[in-house]
Amino acid sequence: MKLEIRKIPENEPEMVEIRYHWITDEIQEIVSFVKSRQGQLSATRDGQRFEVPVMDLFYAESVDERVFLYTASDSYEIRMKLYELEDLLKSKSFLRISKSMIVNLMKISSVRPALNGRFSAVLKNGEEMIISRKYVPELKRILKGSES
Amino acid sequence: MVKKKWKELLIQALRLYTLLVTLITVLMIILGNLLDRDRVFGYDAFLSPLIYALIGTVATVITRSGKELSVRNLIIRKAVSLLLIEGAIILIALNADTIPTDKSWVVPGLALGVLAVFVLTHIILYFIDRKEAEKLNAELARYQEKQMSGSSVG
Repeated sequence: MKLEIRKIPENEPEMVEIRYHWITDEIQEIVSFVKSRQGQLSATRDGQRFEVPVMDLFYAESVDERVFLYTASDSYEIRMKLYELEDLLKSKSFLRISKSMIVNLMKISSVRPALNGRFSAVLKNGEEMIISRKYVPELKRILKGSES
Repeated sequence: MVKKKWKELLIQALRLYTLLVTLITVLMIILGNLLDRDRVFGYDAFLSPLIYALIGTVATVITRSGKELSVRNLIIRKAVSLLLIEGAIILIALNADTIPTDKSWVVPGLALGVLAVFVLTHIILYFIDRKEAEKLNAELARYQEKQMSGSSVG
């Protein structure tokens, strides 16, 4: 695929244009990436495509090598690896809390102790999930950054 | 990252060890007064809580895993670690001249004492974690407020 990046005058709007013959997985991935940068993720539910606003996401979970997005009431499947999603959403208040899960810090209502030095996060929709001990230091580091 | 992980692990082990030394010393004072009041010890006796606490700390290795353990799995592993600690302490007691295991209440008393220390340790660690969770919640609220108001964080 040929890549063209062109500098344009300040009075013209910036844009990404994709010219394609067929919508392949590769094209779809690029579209998903661009949309995620704009605050939306392309995902499917019951075979239909949806644009899910990142701010509505509660968490993302990897199950049997498939990645699902969860909002307050719906779930969607996204064609991305969890680590790719983690990289993409890192700057948008998302944090890995276990091997198979990343959570939106803005959707956590409270944190409470769980067994063996672990913590659990209670989400604003009432769901509760374990924060592995391994990821607790990173959570502390990010939250401490907001102290100043 | 690995260095950080080991540092975290060492801090947790030291925290548990210190707590165990304290609780075992208290347990020895209580059990000694109840079961074997007249016995006199040498300075070596000060070593006992340190050794027992080391056994208790090493036994928690069982509750650690590279994989994410389910609550059920964790409880099973905790039970196994308790059994191991009980076994090790009773074995030491049976072989030590300073512990009068010939008296009928000493071994059950010791087993109960170990259980009490085990339970107390978990209760105290829970309260420490709860305090930490309160701190995390305060920081989380600040973080969310700051993100909502649009200022940059981190």
